[in-house]
Amino acid sequence: MTSKDIRRRGASGFYFAIMFLLIGLILISAVFSVSIGQVRIPFGQSMEIMLHTLTGGHLGSLEHVENQSFLTIISQVRMPRVLFALLIGMGLSLCGAVMQAVVQNPLADPYILGISSGASLGATFAILVGFGGGAFFSQMGVAFGAFAGAIITSIAVLVLSSIGGKATSVKLVLSGVVIGALCGSFSSLVIYFANNAEGIKSVTFWAMGSLASSSWDKVPILAVVVLLGCALFLLQFRVLNTMLLGDESAVTLGINLSVYRKLYMILTALITGTMVAYAGMIGFVGLIVPHLCRGLFGSDHKRLMPASLLVGGLFLLWSDILSRTLVHNVDLPIGIITSVIGSPLFIYMIVKKGYQFGG
Amino acid sequence: MELTAQGIDIRLGKKDIVKQVSVQVKAGQFVGLIGPNGCGKSTFLKGIYKSLVPQKGTVFLDELDVLNTTEKKVSQRLGVVGQFNEMSFDLTVHQMVMLGRTPHKKLLEADKQEDFAIVDEALARTNLLDYKDRSYQSLSGGEKQRVILARTIAQQPAFMILDEPTNHLDIRYQLEILSCVKGLQIGVLAALHDLEMAAHYCDYLYAVKEGQVFAHGTPEEVLTSGTIEALYHVKCQTYQNPVTNRLSFAFGL
Repeated sequence: MTSKDIRRRGASGFYFAIMFLLIGLILISAVFSVSIGQVRIPFGQSMEIMLHTLTGGHLGSLEHVENQSFLTIISQVRMPRVLFALLIGMGLSLCGAVMQAVVQNPLADPYILGISSGASLGATFAILVGFGGGAFFSQMGVAFGAFAGAIITSIAVLVLSSIGGKATSVKLVLSGVVIGALCGSFSSLVIYFANNAEGIKSVTFWAMGSLASSSWDKVPILAVVVLLGCALFLLQFRVLNTMLLGDESAVTLGINLSVYRKLYMILTALITGTMVAYAGMIGFVGLIVPHLCRGLFGSDHKRLMPASLLVGGLFLLWSDILSRTLVHNVDLPIGIITSVIGSPLFIYMIVKKGYQFGG
Repeated sequence: MELTAQGIDIRLGKKDIVKQVSVQVKAGQFVGLIGPNGCGKSTFLKGIYKSLVPQKGTVFLDELDVLNTTEKKVSQRLGVVGQFNEMSFDLTVHQMVMLGRTPHKKLLEADKQEDFAIVDEALARTNLLDYKDRSYQSLSGGEKQRVILARTIAQQPAFMILDEPTNHLDIRYQLEILSCVKGLQIGVLAALHDLEMAAHYCDYLYAVKEGQVFAHGTPEEVLTSGTIEALYHVKCQTYQNPVTNRLSFAFGL
């Protein structure tokens, strides 16, 4: 074995050590996150309640629990919320890493294809105008509006960029910007004519992103969409790697990018649409987490994707903890926290010498 | 492996860029494609390696019908070194060369010991072993092009297409790259700008003008004053270089 082989092994040893460390940190953070919040619940009791809920009553007893409301807070409010934070953090980082490869642009994020503005328009419309009297729509109104808006705009972006030939990455980005601007102006129009201060406030709040509406009944759909997406894209590392080379080189390596580009865009739109429908717009995570991981592990997607998922989950877990505890008795929109933490991190990465987008 | 392209027509927008071009490369031959900028050399090559779809014509690699076969199957036999292109993201040299194994891999197949050996051999052939862990973006143009060549060698192609591979490179890299490709002893079709290089390395030449084959034959037959003047609109005298004993050119406007 030459010294180079040893070095290569050493590098992958380092990688796996970090991955295990991240998984450990996520577990500890999740437990910690469940135990703290606006209502002070003793750590021992929150553990007992959590064990009891997770094992369906086999482990952990509720005998020492002082207050019945603790049970509800832990099992019905905080636990689904922690799961939401983890899943959405994973999903946003996943979509960010994929979109950056798809459009071959380090500035891409999950919202780049006009998904954000489409979802905003849908949500704004649902809040201020409504979809009529149907029971289904009035219950699901905002989520449905946001999801529909996200999907419709990303299809529009796809179609627009495919007019007159192949959908190149530049055409994709430009179409995303154009459709985004169009949706933005329609949203403004709806807000301008709405005579509804309460509604406008909730539109603003929605646009800042929040995990406050997390609940167990929403977990299955989110979990299935995000986890399936993760599993799928983890297996696509070869295609994602050749995407970095551009169309021309990818064809000579046997991969027709325009097909994969469309497929990936539809999949990320579905994942992002679902996340946006449940939690609003949580900015910066999908942009910064893949970059952070590139700086640490390089651009090879075989390593980048698992790392991005774990770092993204951990990042949003902690953003959520901060959003609940930073200001007493206030549940801050999580989008504010992610941007406040994210921007300095990003500035550090840009200023730090030698960051080459993953070398 | 033998390449036969017959009657290729390529239209981009409303313009016919390549008109009825036929080219044949016999097994192990190094065939050059010369002609002025914009004459359709690159477009023709793109039509062969499936980056563009020709309106008419057939391309065969031995028995393989290139235009009606999947990209993956074609890329297992055909390697391409293109013009230098920029990337927004970075990879290490080793990762970059490892991408050359992509055509031979199933979706979930891991990189095996065999692949590492092939990549190491490709790096050795291109004198890049010491560059393994360097970042691709930090390399000079000539070094980057060598990495691309190493990637194509790791692809283990039975035929190689070069599209002006030595553009912007200094003389040492030009010689290194062409000699390395020549040493592979596989069929090669290369678009070249430097006529002396073409004369030295190629067994056979096709001169392309305005999307059509203007002349073809051995370098001595094609590279005459008359043909060069007709192709490039410059005055040209050919002579035997007294030092190298090879065909040389003196140009003037």
